[in-house]
Amino acid sequence: MQIQDTLPQLRRYYHISPRLLFAAGLVALFVAIPLAYIFFRAITGGEEVWIRLLQTRIWKLLGNTLLLAATVTGGAALIGVTMSFFTERTDLPGRRVFRWLLAMPLAIPPYIGGIVHLTLLRPRGGFIPQLLASWFGQPIPTPSPLGFGGAAFILTLFMFPYVYLLSGAAFRSLNASLEEASRTFGRSNWQTLWEVTLPALRPGITAGALLVALDVLAEYGTVALLRYETFSSAIFVQLSGRYDRSAAAVLSGVLIVIAVIILWGELRLQGQARFTQMDSQWRPAPPHQLKRWKIPAFLLVAFVVFASLLVPVLVLGVWSVQALLDSETLASIMRSGSQNFGNYVWNSLWASGLAAVIAVLLSLPVALLSVRYPNKLTQAISRFCQIGYAIPGVVIALSLVLMVNRYLPFLYATPLVVVMAYVLRHMPQAVRASESALNQLSPSMEEASRTLGRTSLQTIVQVILPLIVPGLLAGAGLVFLTSLKELPATLLLRPAGFDTLAVRVWIWASEGFYVQAAPAALLLVVASAAPLYFLLRREQIFR
Amino acid sequence: MQHFSRKLFGLLFVLTLLVSACGGGTTVSGENVPETESAQPVENEAGVSGDLVIYSGRSESLIQPVLDAFQAKHPTVKILLKSGSNSELANALIEEQANPQADVFVTTEIFTIQNLYQQGLFASYRPAGADSLPPEFIGPDDSWIGLTRRARVIIYNTELVSAEEAPTSIFDLTDPKWKGQIAAAGSTNGGMQAQVAAMRQLLGDVDTQEWLAGLMANDVTFFGGHTDVRKAVGAGEFKIGLVNHYYYYLQQAEGSPVGIVFPDQGEGGIGLISNATSAAIVKGAKNVPAAQAFLDFLISEEGQKLFAELNYEYPLLPGVALKEGVQPLDGFRLADVNVAEAALDFNGTLDLMEAIGLP
Repeated sequence: MQIQDTLPQLRRYYHISPRLLFAAGLVALFVAIPLAYIFFRAITGGEEVWIRLLQTRIWKLLGNTLLLAATVTGGAALIGVTMSFFTERTDLPGRRVFRWLLAMPLAIPPYIGGIVHLTLLRPRGGFIPQLLASWFGQPIPTPSPLGFGGAAFILTLFMFPYVYLLSGAAFRSLNASLEEASRTFGRSNWQTLWEVTLPALRPGITAGALLVALDVLAEYGTVALLRYETFSSAIFVQLSGRYDRSAAAVLSGVLIVIAVIILWGELRLQGQARFTQMDSQWRPAPPHQLKRWKIPAFLLVAFVVFASLLVPVLVLGVWSVQALLDSETLASIMRSGSQNFGNYVWNSLWASGLAAVIAVLLSLPVALLSVRYPNKLTQAISRFCQIGYAIPGVVIALSLVLMVNRYLPFLYATPLVVVMAYVLRHMPQAVRASESALNQLSPSMEEASRTLGRTSLQTIVQVILPLIVPGLLAGAGLVFLTSLKELPATLLLRPAGFDTLAVRVWIWASEGFYVQAAPAALLLVVASAAPLYFLLRREQIFR
Repeated sequence: MQHFSRKLFGLLFVLTLLVSACGGGTTVSGENVPETESAQPVENEAGVSGDLVIYSGRSESLIQPVLDAFQAKHPTVKILLKSGSNSELANALIEEQANPQADVFVTTEIFTIQNLYQQGLFASYRPAGADSLPPEFIGPDDSWIGLTRRARVIIYNTELVSAEEAPTSIFDLTDPKWKGQIAAAGSTNGGMQAQVAAMRQLLGDVDTQEWLAGLMANDVTFFGGHTDVRKAVGAGEFKIGLVNHYYYYLQQAEGSPVGIVFPDQGEGGIGLISNATSAAIVKGAKNVPAAQAFLDFLISEEGQKLFAELNYEYPLLPGVALKEGVQPLDGFRLADVNVAEAALDFNGTLDLMEAIGLP
């Protein structure tokens, strides 16, 4: 409320700066170019390519991709909401620990989880089928982790925390009076949950679910590993298996259209979800008593933690120990060409770190503009800069390969192109973090600074920036975390000798050397868990 | 207190990022600027130094020992390796034609490399010792050289299949008797691609397609690579696998009960399908002396011995002994494939696999 009142007042001192607008415009242009280029290539891809693809691949890919996205989104919503309900609204034993454990799968890239579960569940050869066969003396049919079912299972297992975190926050901000009113009108607990509580949470849940859908569209590693063909994996094959840029561009164009539609919905909902404010009457709703459901609920939550966190970490741990104990394996992990393990770690860290810094810096003018001068134009620029959510890594890679090699050949095959891909893809997280940091800052500070004779640039550097550093760091942490895990763009853009941890995991695992892949995978998980830990610590419940 | 520690963490995080960023900057420039030691090259055997960029389609564990041996001879050379599938790296080379990045391309079959030669991607070089290689393994205009030969064989689990029962032809793999019991590598694997390209030459498209469709109808499980295949057969997960010959020896060395069949030797059979790993120098390579020294090394006795010893391959250089226990190819009838023709229509091979939906 206070912010709204002081804004017009502020404008007198601080009218829209052309420099700021120019800077934000440049950022939007930087984001727009790769997208526009791939779109241009898709449209000019040639009638013949379009007809060939329309007759053969596109419909099947469309069906496959949408089916997977819908299934995983639904599954993640179901598991995410169920888990957050148990940890936030019930007297589930151990809920304080489970709160943490249920968020941690975000540190495990789905393709690494997929590798582990594939080894355990592979029909006949997997650990579990073999165990069953030796117990029962004959092979017992088990569900295959390959194909649609497996891909849906793995992606749901490692993407539900998005919904879990968002719906958890929503559950906590829910006012007790809402549910009390419902029960006063004679609704049972169950009816209250379905008819009152969940509808009230819907914007938050849906926003989380749509983020999951966007991630599924972009996912390459898991679907390639489990051999389920979606747009992303088909584009990768066109790009690396066949020299067919036109087909890759056409498929990318279609994929971007689907993703932009989903992103558009997400952005609209995000606006609605942001303003669920707590007023002075707010009281936390009392937890439900689980009573006889206590043990089943505990087992359910424990199973989700087991499958999505304990199993991958334990298996990777055992493999890593095996790898470290075997000198031959150890030697092969340690070297590739003249590069060694330290190089991969270093490459991962600095490329992701640099991407985080650049993304946050670029997000600043955009966020300042959209928060301090909210109008149609500035909102449009802010939303446009979040387009990266809708551009899968393979598409960014395709666009950068084509553009950089043609127009900036001196940049081609340098690690900077990899960093550029990370920035483009993960800029939305930085924009959102910067905007939310600025939203929490009262304009009166700036007003005072301006009154005391500081220029607008001085005000930004001396007053605003120091105050929003924690928020910016959260944005940087998110970009760092997601860049560490990035696989397809890194695979396609890396120069020789510039392998990251994610690439090493992929190279080993795709040849079937899972033990060799384990130390790099485990390190990647640990490196991701650290920023995730601090990001979660910023949330009220995770202290 | 908590507030303070959070600030401290924030500061540390920023510092870390800054350090990474600066460090990153130097790494980037360091790759292009010659280091002081290479500005005055240390004289060694061949006098080569600097960065040597190798694009390799070979399984990394099967080339690293060779790279290490080369590195030991030329300690001032820094090898930058990019591993990937043959086609992935071939596409990168085509994309980079105007702006070459790689010095050497190493691949696991000769069709891709011949195809790239036809697109004018390689520089001619006849390595020392090339005269002793069989002439069919030297590319036209000395554009590429063969390194080792590998045969497509059938591996079987001896606890589940007896030697008499084991299939003697790749066409037996479509026999319903083996339904669901066979593992092979899929359409993204270079060895499998080369086999299909060879079969199109030998049999024509229709019969090749029929064979592939037969494999799929027989519920063959297709893996991404042959390591999964050999391990699955070794563990008894599958009775039979279709692999390159050395995967049999690698699995046997792990102590698994496996047997090998060199197929299609019978009267009127197509013969044993084989292929060769190969290497070439990229046109526009930045470090030609090191690239040439590397090719020299690959077909030298020392290099060839490493391939034979570490990976049970058939060295192309005459006189280099096979690893003990490896069955020599001399006694077998080899399928006769025209490399140039197969290479010309390599895209047709990929189309055919895509058309029938080979995983």
